[in-house]
Formats: sequence, C-alpha cells, structure tokens
Amino acid sequence: MPERQDYRALLWAIAALAGGLLLHIDRLPAWVWVAALVLVSWRIAAARSRVPLPGTPARTLLAVAVVIAVLARFHTLNGLPAGSALLVLMAALKLLETHRRRDRLVLVGAGLFLLLAACLDRQSLARAPLYLGEAWLACAALAVIASDGFPGRAALALAGRTLLLAMPLAVLLFLFFPRLAASFWSVPRGEEALTGLSETMSPGSIGKLSTSYDVAFRARFEGELPANEQRYWRGPVLHDFDGTTWTRGSEGGRPRPALEFAGRAYRYRLALEPSRLHWWFALDTPAQSPDPGVTLTHDYELLASRPVSDPISFEALSYLATRSAAPLGGWERHENTDLPRGHNLRTVELARDLRARAASDAAFVTATLDYLRSGGFVYSLEPEALGTEQVDDFLFRTRTGFCGHYASAFVVLMRAAHVPARVVTGYLGGEWNPSGGYLVVRQADAHAWAEVWLEGRGWTRVDPTAVVEPERLQRGAFDLLSESMPASTRLLRAAPWLVHMLQRWDAANAWWNDRVVRFDYATQLDVLERLGIRSPDARTLGWAFVLVLLTWLGVIAWYLGRSMRPRRPDAIARAYALLCRKLSRTGLVRAPHQGSLAYAEALRARHPSLAEDAHALLAQYARLRYGAPEPATRARDIEAFAGAVRRLRIARA
Amino acid sequence: MKMPFAALARARMAAWVRRRQGPDVLPATLARRRLYILPTRAGLAFGFLWILMLLAGLNYGNSLALFFTFLLAGFALVAMHECHRNLLGLTLVSVDAPALFAGSAGVLELVLQNPAPRTRPGVQAALDDGPLAGVGLPPRARARLTLPLAPARRGILRIERLRLTSSHPFGLFRTWTWVHLPIEVLVYPQPCGSLPRPITSGHAAGLSSRGGSGLDEWMGLRPFRDGDSPRQVDWKAYARGAPLLVKEYRPAGADLCLFDFAQLRIPDVETRLSQLARWVVDAEAGGERYGLTLPAVVLAPNRGPEHRHRCLAALALHGIEAPAASAARAAAMAPLHA
Repeated sequence: MPERQDYRALLWAIAALAGGLLLHIDRLPAWVWVAALVLVSWRIAAARSRVPLPGTPARTLLAVAVVIAVLARFHTLNGLPAGSALLVLMAALKLLETHRRRDRLVLVGAGLFLLLAACLDRQSLARAPLYLGEAWLACAALAVIASDGFPGRAALALAGRTLLLAMPLAVLLFLFFPRLAASFWSVPRGEEALTGLSETMSPGSIGKLSTSYDVAFRARFEGELPANEQRYWRGPVLHDFDGTTWTRGSEGGRPRPALEFAGRAYRYRLALEPSRLHWWFALDTPAQSPDPGVTLTHDYELLASRPVSDPISFEALSYLATRSAAPLGGWERHENTDLPRGHNLRTVELARDLRARAASDAAFVTATLDYLRSGGFVYSLEPEALGTEQVDDFLFRTRTGFCGHYASAFVVLMRAAHVPARVVTGYLGGEWNPSGGYLVVRQADAHAWAEVWLEGRGWTRVDPTAVVEPERLQRGAFDLLSESMPASTRLLRAAPWLVHMLQRWDAANAWWNDRVVRFDYATQLDVLERLGIRSPDARTLGWAFVLVLLTWLGVIAWYLGRSMRPRRPDAIARAYALLCRKLSRTGLVRAPHQGSLAYAEALRARHPSLAEDAHALLAQYARLRYGAPEPATRARDIEAFAGAVRRLRIARA
Repeated sequence: MKMPFAALARARMAAWVRRRQGPDVLPATLARRRLYILPTRAGLAFGFLWILMLLAGLNYGNSLALFFTFLLAGFALVAMHECHRNLLGLTLVSVDAPALFAGSAGVLELVLQNPAPRTRPGVQAALDDGPLAGVGLPPRARARLTLPLAPARRGILRIERLRLTSSHPFGLFRTWTWVHLPIEVLVYPQPCGSLPRPITSGHAAGLSSRGGSGLDEWMGLRPFRDGDSPRQVDWKAYARGAPLLVKEYRPAGADLCLFDFAQLRIPDVETRLSQLARWVVDAEAGGERYGLTLPAVVLAPNRGPEHRHRCLAALALHGIEAPAASAARAAAMAPLHA
C-alpha cells in the first residue's frame, strides 16, 4: 500500500520539522508556531481525508504573505530570530506541496537547520539532550523516508545505533578539528535582552530582578576569597537623576582618573552567562581591562563593544581598596551634585540640616546613615507605590524599600548638601559552590549602592541598604525575603539536599560552559599539550587526524561488516570442496544438486579405473557429515579425512 | 556514428567494469571488491547542508553547532558502511527467464539468498540501467525478485549485465554491483496476422481419414490473446459487458495443419513469421496437430507444449542461428511451465 507508506513518511518528516520548531518555541512569536500548526494540520487532513491542498497561485500568495509578516514583525529577514521564523513558516508551507520523497527530505533538512539555529542561539547543558533528540529524530526520519515502509521503531533503533557509532568520531573531530581565530561573516543575533541589569535604575527595577534564580556569573578565585561583606560586583554607574529614574548620563571620552590600589590583589576567572547586554562584571574595582574588546571606563566599569550572547570567561584583577589623590574636576562635581530643581524639598531640607550639624563630608555621611538606621526603615521587596515626589514620599511616608530605594534616596541626600555622589548597580554576594569550587552570583543578588566623593580618599563606597538590613551583607535577598519570592524559587531552597543537588547541577553547567561551550583554539592547544604534543605543526596534526579517521573507519567497517560476510566453511566442508576440485580434473564435475554418493556413482560409471580411494573418500564425507556422531573420535576422523584428501592424486583427463 | 559523450563514457565504464570483475558464475556472492558506492542526490544535498552547518559553526566558534556538525559527519560515514554492508555477502542464486512473445510483457526472475543472520531491507535489482525492483531479505532466507522484460523484437534477448543495488538505510548513499551472466531470453515472434489457417485436408496430407464437410466447425469461445484478429472477436458478447472473447472455429474435417514458410504470400519475413506464430498458437490452443516447415527446419506434425515451444523457437531463431545450434538452444530454453 504505497499511499499508507507515503503517509507514514510524511508524518516522520513532519516530526523532524516539529522537533526543530520545538527547540525555538519560546523564542518565536506565538503567531509563527500557530501558523505552522495550522499548516501542518492542513497537510495531515489532506493526507487523511482528501481535504484539498492549495494550488500554486495560492501557495505563492501564502509565501509572500509569510515574508511580509516576518518583515513586519522583525523589520529584517536577516538574523537568528527572523531567520528561524522564516525557516519555520517556509518549511510549513513546503509541507503543502510535499508529494515526493525529495519534498520530505527538504522538511528533514529544515529540521536540521533549525537545530543549527538553536545551537547558535543557546548552548546550555540542559538543552543539549533536546538537541541530541532532534538529531536522532531527523536521522530516523531519513530512514523512514528512504525505505518505503521501514517501521518507525526499527528506524529509531537504527538511527540511534548509527549516531552512537558516530559519537567517537564526533568527539575526536570536536577536539582536533582546527578552529578559526575570528569570524569571517556575521549575522545579527537576537537583540532582546535576557534577564540582567539594565543601564537605568528606578527604585523598583532591581526588585524585579531579585526574584530570578538564574545565574549571572561564576567566579573562581586563585587563593583566598573576598569576605562576604566585600563581594560587591561592579556594574553600570549611574549619574543622572530625573526624579524617578537614574541613567548613566553623558558618555564622552573622558580620561580615566588614576587610582592608587592598596591591599590584596584578587585574581580570578569570571564566567559570564549570556545576557545580551554589554556589561562585564568585576569584583569591586578592576585594575585593568581583561580583553581588547572591553573598555575600562572612567567610572571603572567594564563595557564591551559586543553584547554577551554566548558564555564568556575572562581573567580579572581587582582591588578592594583604592585612593585618589587628584581633586574632582569641575564638570564631574557638577554632574554628581545635580538634582532636578524644585522637587523633594523636604529631603533637601533634611540634607542641609544634617550637613550643617556635621563637621565634614565624612561626618555628614555617617550622620545620614545613622538617620536611616534609626528612622524605622524596613527592607522589603514589596514596598508601597511612591508618589510623584519619590524621595520625599519614601523618606517621610512609606519608609519601606529595596536596595534601589535606599541607594537612590542616599545619593539624593548627599547631592542636596552638595556632596558629590552617584549610584552604582551590580551584584552583592555570591554563594560558594563546594562541588565546583567557585562563587556563583545570581540575578537575585542584584544590588544598588552609592559612592561618595570624599576629599583625599576619592570615590568611596557607601551601602545604605547594609545599614537598614545588615544581614544583607551576609546573605542573599533569597534568604532574607523568602516570603516575597515566587513559590517555585522558594521550593528550590526548601531542603538542604535539594540545594546540594542544585549546586552539583550548577557545577556541571559550569564545567559544560568551560570545557564544551568555550572550547576554542587555545583550549585545543591545551588539550594537545596534555596529550604530550607540544607546539604541533599543521602537517603533523593533519597526518594524525587522517590516521585517526582511517582507524575509526576501519573499526566501523569491521564492526558492521563482521556479521554480513558469509561464514567460513568448517573443516569437513573445506576438505570436501578440495576433494571435488581434485575429482573435477577427471572431466566429470559434480553438479550442484549432486550428493557425494551420487557423484561417486557417476564417477564409477564414467571412470571405472579411478582409484578406489576417491570413492571411499566420498563415502567417508557422507558418513562424517550425515552419519551418527561419534564424539570420541570425531576430531581425529575429520583430521584423517582432510589429510587423505590432501594426499589424493588425480591425473588430469 | 558518433556517440554522445555521456553514452560513450558509460560504455567505456561498462567495459572497464566487465574487464575488472570478469564473468560471473552462479551462485555469485558479492564480495567487497566488486561493490561500488557513491552518494545519492539526497546524500549530496545532505553534504551541502553539512558544509553550511560547518561554516556557521566555525564562523561563530559555536561549539555545540560544531559538535552536531561532526556528529552528522560521523553519521553519514557510518551510514555509508551500513549501506555497503547491505549488499556485502549477498548471493545471487539463480536467474531465470521463461521464453516470451515479442511485444508482450515477461519477467526475469532472480533468486537472492541472504546467508547472514541479519535482515537486508531494500535490496534492489535492475536490468543494466532499467527500473528498479526491490525486496527485503530476512536473516538466512531467500527471496525472489522479478524484473519486467518487454522485448520488441523476436530472437534472442541478451542481457549484458544486471545491477544489484541498495540505498538502505538512510538513502544518503547508493551501493551497487554489476553481475555479468550469460543470460539469454528466447523471444518468440509476436503472434499476429489474420490470414485463415491453411486447411490442409487429411486427404491432401494423406494423414487423416475423416471426411470434411467444407464448413468450419464451431469450437467455442476463448479469451482474447494478443494478435487475435478483430474479425474473430465476439463483439456482441463484448457489448453485453463480457470480456473480450474470440470465436474459435476448427477448420472442418482437419485436425492436422501444415504451416509452410515458403507458401505464405507475405513479402515481409517478420510479418510472415508473426503469421506463422499466430497459427501455431491457435492450432495448439485448438488441440490440433500441426507441423512447421521453415527453409532450414522441418518439424513433423505433433502437438503439446513442448512441440509448440519447438515450433515457436524455430520461428524465433529463423535466420539468426544455424539449425543445429538453434535446436540445441531451443532445448536449452525450454519453458519451465509446461
């Protein structure tokens, strides 16, 4: 029944395509996969019950509509999200004209291409099995499509075994295939940011981030770890305040002020998770830029020229104590004391009052912190909404807030008294992962603090949140405000064994990112060196590569071919074949249907003079092959028979 | 005559393969050195896709994309071996072709044996580059494969070579081998022509004693066969919805016919042979005794399938082979089904 087989092949092709589509399901707009689903259902309905398929003009119209829809949504056909959406829709359209084997193969090809796009998009450990599953499905679909009526289960088994046999080669190629140092062609990747700190901060914005359990980065230190209360990871520094939102302010190629570093130098390797943002994070004050593509800005931020769309790791050097002898420039002083005029008047009044009673700026900072400590402020993830005069409302009415509120209010207080101050956003904390031996910093550890300019010391970190909730220095927001966290996140930290298991999983992810995802030319050389090949030249590597490939091919050929070769005949059959060959010299060849005894009769009739041995041997063969077994003497008998055959002399007729 | 380049290349290739492999004898077991393998069109498309994946993976330094690219490369290489082994060790046990009429459809029957303890799905065969016929072989089993034959001309159809092939399991590669066997199929002339059978009265032949009435004797209806005269078709029955039937008459008083090549007044030899074949077939179907006289062969009156075959073979080989060789060949190519 060819029709039934065609239908099965079609379903498998659809499965391969749908597998690829599922890998992108959370990245594609809903209408894309709804449209794909409709097209697939249409095709299945057509195959089952003669629902008409559209003709060529209708299909052309649909194709044009798809291109327009994708253009309208993404404003481009280039790039990963638009490309995947287009591929999904075009493949689903292709379904409507899938009648022949070639068309079905095109669908499987589209499935494999979607797999590639998914790899380019995300490479996390958790998704790797999904990718493998899609590869498996596509290969099995190839088998079903290629051989009419090949059963699905057998196809899966066959494809699975083939992929397993291919695995050693894949690993070898992965380790030794030469990589490119730089890319030669660039397609824009998705621009939508994942979770992560943004370049602006309004008091509530960090609180939203705090419910995310996602890893922001991991840091592996050489030697001692910084103490809990010193794990400030610097991110965007914000200067401009419009009354509700803090922004970075004017860029401009300002020179970086020279700093004197003091105390311990912390060296560590920091591995960033993809955020699609330009920020790289470093402990407190980084002393240098870790990468040519990353600028160490005048605020000692690390700003990359390209967004972080793949896991990145870098070596960094930081100091916890800095000093700046140079005075603050006029423009900087103005920028860091500027406030929107005519707003938050009560706050301004409070600041002036506190400053008037303090002997110095440093004393004023202490007095302000004392005010916050003793003013009945509450650390909470769910503060009341603030009115238009945000800071007044917060300081004198709600008195409830998250780190953003405190940092913002503190900087406004400082600026109101003409003390230069700015907001720094980043992360505070880091959980020690004993399985992996590194600190893991989550999005929930996002934090905002303040920096104040003090004469003779330069920019000095002040964390008003730590005054309100000193525990925050020791523990993450997760543990402090667990009742505000989503239930799923609370569940993750419910039991110590679960936390321990998740740490193991995180360590596996770290290993994966480190060893697999970031495997590049440098790592390749490293692996070779560990194998004892120092500074290999291309030719040696090439030969080694060819040798390994040929060995693998030989093993595969042997393994697959071993059961297919006809079995070697046993000793009796070999001796019998030799006997028949010798006897054929008489001119009487044994016919294929002739038994040994019949052959002996024919020989006797034709060549009565033939040595009696020959007849005896033919009879002996029949006895050995078909007679009652005599286990005791069998081996010896066979030996004797074979020997006699070898000694037999037959003259050519 | 100048051959087009492709055809010339193919002919050269075929000659080379024949020289390389030597003639085959049955049973022929397919050894490693005679199995050829190349990617199919799907395989080439897969290769193209693979190169795109490799370039993308290298360009972005994307480890996972590269890993899956390499996995698919390994997959294709293993698939190549799996394809190759599907024919490796397969045995062609016999090739058999019953004689057939020119212009009709016949079959070449191959028997394949799988000596291995594994199934071999999707084993296909073809005449040279003809259409493929496929079969799946269970472990240690035999299977029959029939290839369609439709010779246009009578004589001996020589099948230069057979192709055994498979693209199992993934259709990315096709492995094949050529089998060179002395396969010769006897093709009878197409029975055709509407001349009345010569009524050789028993008296004239001196062999029959039955008196003739001079009128054809109604014998009955039989199904239409290729070459039957439209004048003999029972059109009335056909109009009533019956299948095509032919009215058969036996020449009155004669159960002996003598067909003589020389006495037929048809200028074209092939048409004459077709007419003779028509008569032989009809006479045999009518249960009559008939004899055949050709310039080189005289077959005494007789009947039965063997006689029919001898007559038709003589017609088939007329002017092609010397009579002695022709008789031997006719004997060798006797139909299996009596």
